[in-house]
Amino acid sequence: MDVLIQIIITGITLGSMYALASVGLSLIFGTLGMFNMAHGLFMTLGAYAAYSAAISLKIPLLLGIFIAMGAGALVAIVTHLAVVRFMLGNSEFGMNVLVATAGIGIILEDLLLKIYGGYPYPQVLKVEGLVKIANVAITYQAIIICLVALLLISSIAFLLMKTRLGRGIRATAQNRDAAMLMGVKSDTVFLQVMALAGMLAGVAGLMISTQATLSPQMGGDPLLKAFVICVVAGLGNVWGAGLCAFGLAIFEATIGFYIGVRFGFPAMLLLVIAVLIWRPQGLFGQEKVVRL
Amino acid sequence: MINFTEIKKQLLICIFVIFVFAILPFFLTQRYLLGEVIVFFFWAMVAMNWNLLMGHAGVFSLAQMLFFAIGAYGVAMAITFLGVSIWVAIPLAVLTSAIVALIIGLACLRLTGAYVALLTYAIAETVHVLIITDTECFTLIRNNCQQLFGGYAGFSRFDDFGFRPLLKRNWILGNYYAVLFAFALTIIIIIMIIHGRLGLAFRAIRDNVGYASSRGIDRKKYQVAAFACSAFLTGLAGAMYAGHFRFAGPSLFDFSTLMFVLSMVVVGGIGSTWGPLIGAGVMMTVVELSKGMGDARNLLLGIALVIFVVVLPKGLAGLAGSILRRFRKRVEAKT
Repeated sequence: MDVLIQIIITGITLGSMYALASVGLSLIFGTLGMFNMAHGLFMTLGAYAAYSAAISLKIPLLLGIFIAMGAGALVAIVTHLAVVRFMLGNSEFGMNVLVATAGIGIILEDLLLKIYGGYPYPQVLKVEGLVKIANVAITYQAIIICLVALLLISSIAFLLMKTRLGRGIRATAQNRDAAMLMGVKSDTVFLQVMALAGMLAGVAGLMISTQATLSPQMGGDPLLKAFVICVVAGLGNVWGAGLCAFGLAIFEATIGFYIGVRFGFPAMLLLVIAVLIWRPQGLFGQEKVVRL
Repeated sequence: MINFTEIKKQLLICIFVIFVFAILPFFLTQRYLLGEVIVFFFWAMVAMNWNLLMGHAGVFSLAQMLFFAIGAYGVAMAITFLGVSIWVAIPLAVLTSAIVALIIGLACLRLTGAYVALLTYAIAETVHVLIITDTECFTLIRNNCQQLFGGYAGFSRFDDFGFRPLLKRNWILGNYYAVLFAFALTIIIIIMIIHGRLGLAFRAIRDNVGYASSRGIDRKKYQVAAFACSAFLTGLAGAMYAGHFRFAGPSLFDFSTLMFVLSMVVVGGIGSTWGPLIGAGVMMTVVELSKGMGDARNLLLGIALVIFVVVLPKGLAGLAGSILRRFRKRVEAKT
C-alpha cells in the first residue's frame, strides 16, 4: 500500500513537470507546425533567471515563478522575432525550423555555460519540509509543484477555451488560411503562442531545478520526455499531451521503483514505440486523409 | 530515365577527389595536418551519409551519430571481449550497425516527418543514457573494471590497424590510406545511389509521397532501405574512427557532436551531392581557427546553423549553383 502511494505521488509530481513542458511544446507544434528543439533551453533559462533573482534580491518562490515565466516568455518571443518569423511559409519549414531551433538551443546552452560555468548549483528557491501520509513522506515542494502545474494548466485551458485570444489560437491551429480570412492576425497569434509556451517552459524549468540541480544541460532530459509525450499523444494535441504526461510519468515511476531508475525512460520509450506501431497518429491524434 | 552522362560526370569528379587525397601525403608531411585530414574523412563520411538520408530520401533522422557509435563500439567491443583482429571486427561492427538500423527503421519509419526526427533522437539519447549510467562490471581488464558497454569512460587503448610495428615512424600513413580507402568506397557508393535509380526513387518520395506511391514506389520500403544503407556506411566511418583513435566512448553521442555534423550538412547544402564534403571542410576549418579565440565552438556551430537555415537554406552548394546559373545566363545574353 505504502509503495503504491509512493509511486503515485512520485508519478504525479513528475507528471506535473512533464505536463508543463509538453503542453507548451504541443501548443507550438499545433499552431506553428514547428518542433521547438530550443524548448529545453527555455526551461533552463527560466530556472537560471529565477535563481539569479533569488540570489541577488532574496525573493520568495511565488515571485520566482513569475520571473521564470517572464524569462521563458522573453526568450521565446525573441526566438520568434529574430529567427522563426523569417522562415514561416518556406517549403521545407518543418525540417529547417528544427535545425534552426537546435542551433538556438546550442547557442543558449553555450552562453549559460560561459556565464554560470558548468558546475551544477542547487536551486535556492525551494520550500523545505515534508508531511507524512500513512508512512509516506511527501515534500512540500512536491505539493507546490502539483498545485502550480494544476493552476497553470487550468488557466491555459481557460484561456484557450473561453477567451477571444484562445479562439484565435484554436482557429489558427485548425486552419491557418481560413483563420486569416476570418480576420485573425496569424503573426500576433504566433507571438502569443510562443510567449505562452515560453512561460510554461520557464516555470517547468524552475520546478525541475528544485527537484534536481541547475546546470546548462538540465533541459535536455525533460525536453526528450516532453518530445516523447507529445509524439505519443499525437503532435499538436494539447489535451492529449497533458494526459499522457501524467500517464507516462506514473509508468516511469513504477518501472523506476521496481526495475531501476535508469530503465525508467527506456521502458517509457519502448511503450511509446509500441503504441505508435499500433496507432501511428498517436493516441489522441486524428488520422489525416491526404488528397492529392 | 537515368541520365548516364550525369552519373559518369559525377564519378569522374569522385575519382579526381580521391586522387587528390591519395597524393596529398606527398605534399603534406606534418603529422598533425595528416591527422586533421583523417578526421575530415570521418566527418565527411558521416555528413555525406546523413545528406543521403535527409536531403535525398527525406528521412529526417537524428540518430546518425548512433550508427557511427555502433560502428566504433562494435570494433572496440569485438577486440576487447572477443580478442579478434581489427580486420574481422570492422565488418562485424558495420553489419551490426546496418542490422540495428534495419530494426529501428522498420519501427520508426511507419511514421513520417517530425515524428521520425523525434523518435530517432529519443532512441539515440536513450542508448547514450543507458551507456553512461552503466556501472556494473562485466569483466576485469588489467585489474580495472570493464563495463559491457564501456560505461562513462568508454573503451580505449585497444589494438589499432597494426601499422605501428609495420611502418614504424610512418604509421600514420598506413592509417591515412586505410581511412582513405573507406572514404573512397563511401563516396563512390553514395554517388552511385544518388545518381542512380535508387536516388530517383528517394527524391520522388521526398518531393511527393502521394505521386511516388501511385507510381508504385513504396515509401516505407525505400526509406528503410535508405536508412539501412546510410547506417551501413556511417557504421563503417565509426569503425574506422575506432581503429584510428583506439577509442570509443559516450562523447560520440554528445549533442554538440551531432550539431557539428548537422552544421556540415546544412552549411554545405542539404540535398546536394558534394555539399556535405565542402561543409565538412569549411566547418572543420572554422572550428580549428576558432580554437585560438577560446572555446567558441558551440557558439559558432549554433550561429552557423541559424544563419544558413534562415538565409541560405540550400547551403554553399546551392549558392554556388545559383551563381553559376546567373553567370551562364549573362554569357548567353552576350552571345
